[in-house]
Amino acid sequence: MNRYRIRYKKSGPMRYISHLDLLRTMERSARRARLPLAFTEGFNPHPKVSFAAPLPVGVEGEDEYMDLELETPLQESLLVERLNAASPPGLEILECKEIDGASPSLMGLVDQATYSVQNIRPFALDDRQLTEGIREFLEQQEIIIEKKTKRGIKQKNIRPGIIDLRGTSKGDRITLEMTLKTGSRENIRPEEVLHSLGKGYLPVNVEDFRITRTGLYTADNRSLFAVS
Amino acid sequence: MEQILERILVTVEKPARYVGNEWNSVKKNWDETEIKMAFAFPDVYEVGMSHLGMQILYKIVNDRPDALLERVFAPWVDMEEKMREAGLPLFSLESRKPLGDFDIIGFTLQYEMSFTNILNMLDLAGLPLRSEERKGDMPLVIAGGPCGFNPEPIAPFIDAFVLGEGEEAISSILDVYRENKRQNSTRQEVLRALAGVEGIYVPSFYHFEYNADGTVKKFRHDGSVPPVIKKRAVVDMDKVPFPTSPIVPHTDVVHDRIMLEVMRGCTRGCRFCQAGTIYRPVREKDPEKLLEQARELVCNTGWEEISLTSLSSSDYSAVRELTGRLVDTHGPKKINVALPSLRADAFSVELAKEVQRVRRSSLTFAPEAGTQRLRDVINKGVTEENLMEAVTAAFRAGWSSVKLYFMIGLPTETDEDLEGIVRLAKNVLAVGRDVSRSKGRLRVTVSASSFVPKSHTPFQWEPQNSLEELQRKQNFLKQRIRGKGLVFNWHEGEVSLLEGDLARGNRDLAPVLERAWSLGCRFDGWSERFDFSRWERAFQDFDLKPGDYAGRRYRHEDRLPWDHLDAGVSKKYLIKEHSKAMEGTPTADCRGGKCPGCGICTSLEINTSLVGGKTIEPVQDSL
Repeated sequence: MNRYRIRYKKSGPMRYISHLDLLRTMERSARRARLPLAFTEGFNPHPKVSFAAPLPVGVEGEDEYMDLELETPLQESLLVERLNAASPPGLEILECKEIDGASPSLMGLVDQATYSVQNIRPFALDDRQLTEGIREFLEQQEIIIEKKTKRGIKQKNIRPGIIDLRGTSKGDRITLEMTLKTGSRENIRPEEVLHSLGKGYLPVNVEDFRITRTGLYTADNRSLFAVS
Repeated sequence: MEQILERILVTVEKPARYVGNEWNSVKKNWDETEIKMAFAFPDVYEVGMSHLGMQILYKIVNDRPDALLERVFAPWVDMEEKMREAGLPLFSLESRKPLGDFDIIGFTLQYEMSFTNILNMLDLAGLPLRSEERKGDMPLVIAGGPCGFNPEPIAPFIDAFVLGEGEEAISSILDVYRENKRQNSTRQEVLRALAGVEGIYVPSFYHFEYNADGTVKKFRHDGSVPPVIKKRAVVDMDKVPFPTSPIVPHTDVVHDRIMLEVMRGCTRGCRFCQAGTIYRPVREKDPEKLLEQARELVCNTGWEEISLTSLSSSDYSAVRELTGRLVDTHGPKKINVALPSLRADAFSVELAKEVQRVRRSSLTFAPEAGTQRLRDVINKGVTEENLMEAVTAAFRAGWSSVKLYFMIGLPTETDEDLEGIVRLAKNVLAVGRDVSRSKGRLRVTVSASSFVPKSHTPFQWEPQNSLEELQRKQNFLKQRIRGKGLVFNWHEGEVSLLEGDLARGNRDLAPVLERAWSLGCRFDGWSERFDFSRWERAFQDFDLKPGDYAGRRYRHEDRLPWDHLDAGVSKKYLIKEHSKAMEGTPTADCRGGKCPGCGICTSLEINTSLVGGKTIEPVQDSL
């Protein structure tokens, strides 16, 4: 088995495409790059591609991961070069590394993500106000959000999933740095945090911010690239 | 604008519709390109991006050094609301330029129910809706496509229509436009020059007075323009540019695959079918050329499916050879070959079986009518035996799901013909129970659309069924096509009725259309957006009601609202076909070698061309 872990960036126009669209787009890029893709068996063969954690629509990802299997081995640098040449603007392959076929899946590994959130509209908030708001927010034991599901509205406490949250303010720019639980065990979205912050802690609106996922990590805080 | 857009995009459904930058999209230097044209598709991105014609024109225009073509689609209602709120004008995907900054806006007219979207897009571009109110250097608004063969209901909103195939017409338009732009011609001078181009219809130079029944009482045209406008058609399909680097969308569009056009036109001559007339004569492409194009398409797009596109791909002379070689070449790369329109016979199923080595889906056949009598009336050359052979072969080959398309409301239809649909559906299911290996998953889906009489067909004089009659027929089928393994689908009768009005209407419908739009009609082809009561109000405001045009029977001697638009077909032939339909006499497919005399080949001086240089000799004087 020739399994490769790929680190990539999804930005600019690409941040508006959904996870499902990304899957499709990656497969087509790989086909254009003439990578010797390995396929699943059965009536509907799919290329063997798997991702770490879906990126919400509208969010940029600077440090994203996918695993790819090939029929025949290919030099890592060549894989990066060929895939980049066949990728649409906004998708950039950063690194690639061959990994053990038996190593755990990305989905199983990923546990937390860091986000950097910046306002796109000039917005004044002094440092003290910002720090106070965040401190008060983090002091809560419970931060309940309501999620619409097929079976109606469900309540969810997001506080335990917020590992870290801090903010800085410089003129009319404010930046929030978040570390949130991510993955199949517990998944907190940055929009949920922003939305909750906007409810009485800080005068913020989700639409006014650009969100970037800056990193994905394992439970013991290692890079997904470091484990294999 | 970028900042406003960024805020809006995170709040709307499927923002990928509005961001562009797809693989193979072309962004030229705006300031250094002389003619800027926008291709406007009056429906959402997913529908518009499934249109081969757009990809063809995109290539032709962008390959010219002096011109650029950028895309714009109808924003979905949520996006429209946000854009209006923010004062954001409709913009192109490539350069994000407001539509009003282009020299030419070209709309495609694929179906009548997109007409209100055209008005809405003009409005979102900040342009006056009516041609006469657009002044100076506002963009020229042109339109083409199948509905261009009776564009009268939207004529007051469009500066010029293109009749027939766009591959060559687009170049003529751009040439004429460029020359006039260089000479600083006025808008009127540009239109005058365009009216002299073959296949271009500038409606403002043609004047109509109508009778109470909608037929033409008086027709007058300005002296310098031709009284009849004849459609454009490509002589040699192997020689016109075909896009082998089409745009590959990121998001899930309706036809998300390689569209390999194998031929243009159809020889069958189904009497209800407008496409059968307007895309004639049949011109098949050389299989070697197609294989070469397929290879390039696979490399350049990364798509995992090749669909053989045309009105009736199993009729393509070299279909077996072509599919076989495509499967051999591309099958190992897990690329599927698909035949979207299957003729209902054993040969087609055999073919489908051969090509579908990679994936399986359901098979679709279109018997169109439930009895042999009615199939003879509409000249659908399919027998019950053909269909039964086809479905037997399909179930044997492992398909467990078959879809059958029918039309209701066809001329001369009686309840016996409806019973015929029920009987066919049950027989097909019975065959499945007999021969299929997967009896549990067995399914026969019957879809019944409503017949809409169209211009330039032998049924152009025929009335459409009333809404009540269509609904009665739907209920008739609904009650009878039920039970395990049977599914019945139907189209909303109200939509068909409006289609019928617009398909055979005249310029008096323009104000109705405008009113419907101002009452909020958009995306009328989308059942969740369609609101019949708004249309009723719009008609009422002009002392009309939906169905007034659709329900009319015209006489052969009437001058019809579209009689100045020539699809190449002779009226004598249409009349003869109409009479034969009423007698239930079929007309043979001209592929058999005998020309039925539709007059298109002689009128256009283009012969039917089949693989290997074969042709069908047209009879000289058609009738």
